[in-house]
Amino acid sequence: MVEFLGIYVYPTLWTVFYIACIVGPLLGSVAYLTLAERKVIGWMQYRKGPNVVGPFGLLQPMADGLKLLLKETIIPSGANRIMFVAAPMVTFVLSLIAWAVIPFDSGLVLADINVGILYLFAISSLGVYGIIMAGWSSNSKYAFLGALRSAAQMVSYEVSMGFVIITVLLYVGSLNLSAIVEAQSGGFWNWHFFGLLFPMFVVFFISTLAETNRAPFDLPEAEAELVSGYNVEYSSMTFAMFFLGEYANMILMCGMTSLLFLGGWMSPFDFVPFTWVPGPIWFAVKIAFCLFVFLWIRATFPRYRYDQLMRLGWKVFLPLSLLWVVLIAGYVVYGGKAVGA
Amino acid sequence: MTEMPIILPAIPEIFLAICGMGLMMVGVFASKERASSLVSILSILVLIVTIFLVVMMNKGEALAFNGLFVTDHFAVYMKLLVLIGSTVALIMSDGFVKRENMDRFEFPILIVFACVGMMMMVSANDLISLYIGLELQSLSLYVLAAMQRDNLRSTEAGLKYFVLGALSSGLLLYGCSMIYGFAGTTSFTTLAAELGGHDGHGSVGVVVGIVFLCAGLAFKISAVPFHMWAPDVYEGAPTPVTAFFAVAPKVAAIALFLRVLMEPFGGLVDEWRQVIIAISIASMLLGAFAAIAQTNIKRLMAYSSIGHVGYALVGIAAGTEAGVRGVLLYMTIYLVMTVGTFACILCMRRNGQMVENIDDLSGLSKTHPKIALALMIFMFSLAGVPPLAGFFGKLYVFLAAIEAELFTLAIIGVLSSVVGSFYYLRIIKIMYFDDERDAFDMPVGRSLSAIMTITSVATVLFFIILTPVLDGASLAAASLFSG
Amino acid sequence: MIIQGLAFYLFAFVAVAAGVMVISSRNPVHSVLFLILAFFNAAGLFVLMGAEFLAMILVIVYVGAVAVLFLFVVMMLDINYVEMREGVLQYLPIGALIGIVLLAELAVIGGSWVVLPLSEAASAMPTPPIDQVTNTNALGRLVYTHYIYLFQAAGLILLVAMIGAIVLTLRDREGVRRQRISDQVDRKVADTIEIVKVVPGSGV
Repeated sequence: MVEFLGIYVYPTLWTVFYIACIVGPLLGSVAYLTLAERKVIGWMQYRKGPNVVGPFGLLQPMADGLKLLLKETIIPSGANRIMFVAAPMVTFVLSLIAWAVIPFDSGLVLADINVGILYLFAISSLGVYGIIMAGWSSNSKYAFLGALRSAAQMVSYEVSMGFVIITVLLYVGSLNLSAIVEAQSGGFWNWHFFGLLFPMFVVFFISTLAETNRAPFDLPEAEAELVSGYNVEYSSMTFAMFFLGEYANMILMCGMTSLLFLGGWMSPFDFVPFTWVPGPIWFAVKIAFCLFVFLWIRATFPRYRYDQLMRLGWKVFLPLSLLWVVLIAGYVVYGGKAVGA
Repeated sequence: MTEMPIILPAIPEIFLAICGMGLMMVGVFASKERASSLVSILSILVLIVTIFLVVMMNKGEALAFNGLFVTDHFAVYMKLLVLIGSTVALIMSDGFVKRENMDRFEFPILIVFACVGMMMMVSANDLISLYIGLELQSLSLYVLAAMQRDNLRSTEAGLKYFVLGALSSGLLLYGCSMIYGFAGTTSFTTLAAELGGHDGHGSVGVVVGIVFLCAGLAFKISAVPFHMWAPDVYEGAPTPVTAFFAVAPKVAAIALFLRVLMEPFGGLVDEWRQVIIAISIASMLLGAFAAIAQTNIKRLMAYSSIGHVGYALVGIAAGTEAGVRGVLLYMTIYLVMTVGTFACILCMRRNGQMVENIDDLSGLSKTHPKIALALMIFMFSLAGVPPLAGFFGKLYVFLAAIEAELFTLAIIGVLSSVVGSFYYLRIIKIMYFDDERDAFDMPVGRSLSAIMTITSVATVLFFIILTPVLDGASLAAASLFSG
Repeated sequence: MIIQGLAFYLFAFVAVAAGVMVISSRNPVHSVLFLILAFFNAAGLFVLMGAEFLAMILVIVYVGAVAVLFLFVVMMLDINYVEMREGVLQYLPIGALIGIVLLAELAVIGGSWVVLPLSEAASAMPTPPIDQVTNTNALGRLVYTHYIYLFQAAGLILLVAMIGAIVLTLRDREGVRRQRISDQVDRKVADTIEIVKVVPGSGV
């Protein structure tokens, strides 16, 4: 019995505890990301943003959440019930399970698997299912159009994202996320952001915008023509799950950007007092900065036209990232950076 | 750094593949009006350069890519046939492509890629490289068959070819997996070593695998009972593409057949011989009898090619060096005759429209005596009338069969070629003794008349070059049995 | 090891069940979704075998790209599936007969299974043991060095498939106005905007 506890029960409990430690703060950040979005865009447009509920509007996310929770869930009569309900769950769950492999500090990771980066990429490529299922099962034209747009867009940008990831892992010589971050240690000049991989950072960052359906690539939910796209038929908690999933995905994408290009938990300078600040804080700061850029872009740029979006993905990013794969591979073989040959 | 694999023996293939990709860039970036003819001319040049490369690499047996690829005299001989056939088909297509709204630069590029596939087939030394080469070739051919995409018959041909081709690939793969499952290797060299020492008694699994493999390959050479796609595809596909189909892929598939049966499974000759004999007899008979009722000349050529494949299989069934030599000679002669016949068919054009009925040839001797003469030569040769080329092809194949004591097979072959000569002679009768019709459009173009002249002269005077061709074939056949 | 065993049976059972559902479910969209479920469980089996790279690639390529396109197509098709299924019963006897014949053949072969003596040695692959290199590394070594010929040739096949798809379907439509980015960027303010001083009350 004791043996059974030691081998199976305690590790499981610990894992559940770790998961809670990750998911709790994550959901909190999502809530406050929505507030930050409204505040930041407000400031950029010389408005105040929400400022009524609580001091500086800090309780606004709570109020919003409570409102959504208490509303009635409406399932349209023509909808495919099972898929209609499953779609938001898929989106939400996928946005959470990806965090299992994100390292917050050296050794501070739930599952330090060999192919972490591929796992992340796989999970992010599954995100399209929630949307496409929602669009189809709603049995509504707007929702379906939004879902189709979204699916085509995400699949297109995934291709170049994949190649960007390949350049990084070629450069590092490992698929393990911790190893990728360790390779960027020793000051900010060692980050992948500076140097050969910079163009790939640009491609990756723009692709993450498209992957998360954010402005200026927010065609799937273009309110002007599609009255908010695939989630038009959703209400209350089902809608809230989409909302949470999307914002959690944004944070995840910024986390990926930080891990791949901005040195993850590494401090920008390799000496005191910067090294006193713990790794997770640096990681959070980097994610926050990327998120700020997301919001900044939304406040700045108009929406892309669909053919322009496809052109950018297939005719600019794909050739560029392919070329860079060749360049980096050449550098790795002939530039004295050969690893594990 | 890891070692580079040996790639030198595969230089012609690599050159051709790279040029194919380069030509695609040329086609994309050249101006729309010039792209097609420019790429076409460049592809012909590339194919000719490849022919020279193949000849230059003719230095006996050499393995490349960790034994996945082999080149020897046999491979060189077959590759030359394939490349010459493809080049001539491409040259012949020139005028047709422009007239029939097929003026797209992808056409020669697909032929180039099909050639790469066929060369890979010929040089395959592993079940996987066999399959990969076969797929590369087949995929290009499916697209080529459907090239006239606004023509219902062409698209039907493409689709039919694709579906049946996919089925045959499935059979072939099933056979390969059986063989791998029982023998534990896909390499021809290892297979030969394993199966050779068994006194001709492989395990049942291997034999079943070989049967499936043969079925898949028989599809590709359109041997009975896997022939049903051939008449429809030959009829539906654009005529230059049909000419290409009739020549190059058939030679490559026969080469593959020879290599697979002689090298890895040479030790099991008693096991696969019955299968080949059955296929061979069925093909010869069907080719002879079914062709009689045809009215469309392209369909007729399809049945004729089924019959010729049957004759070639007689040589394979012999399973001896003489048999292989006969097959090689047969394919060489078949190539020359078929190319010439299709050059004649490409001349059949009235008021800007292609005509394909045998009746349209009526009285050709009065309107176009030269074309009629050439076509008569090819028909006599296809029928196997001495002293034309076709006679020698049949002679050496049947001799090999008799040497291997396959008397029934040889007798059926001779009888069916007598039946077959009926429909060849019928065409000659229509051309020379029936009432004349409206003349065909003139001129036929310099390349077509040049091809007709060269091939008909070669057919008539084949006995002069018989000795050097036979020497080459013997060398090639010997290289298949040396390993 | 209990966990691994349970996980294996779970994955295997769900994979088979999902496979059955793929061919038996009435709604084709559900079929595709079950197919995806089957892919996932296959990926799970790969993970159990220690082939985590293959598992991830399976999810990325098949679930993340191929199945999405399937779903796309199936959702946009407008076919009466009930009508389509009517023929199934008609062909069932022939199909079953062929299936039984093949099964019988397999049984006969399976009964006389003789592995050739040399095949043991031949099938020993040149892979280093799993505890020395990651399976990504081992796979890369095989695919990019030993089997580079097949790898490149397979690439050529895909290229031809792509050319084929374009040749057979792409049509240049007349009268389509395309965006020319270079022209847009080349535009100067002076070419397009004219500043006119208008005296109030006089019009332009």
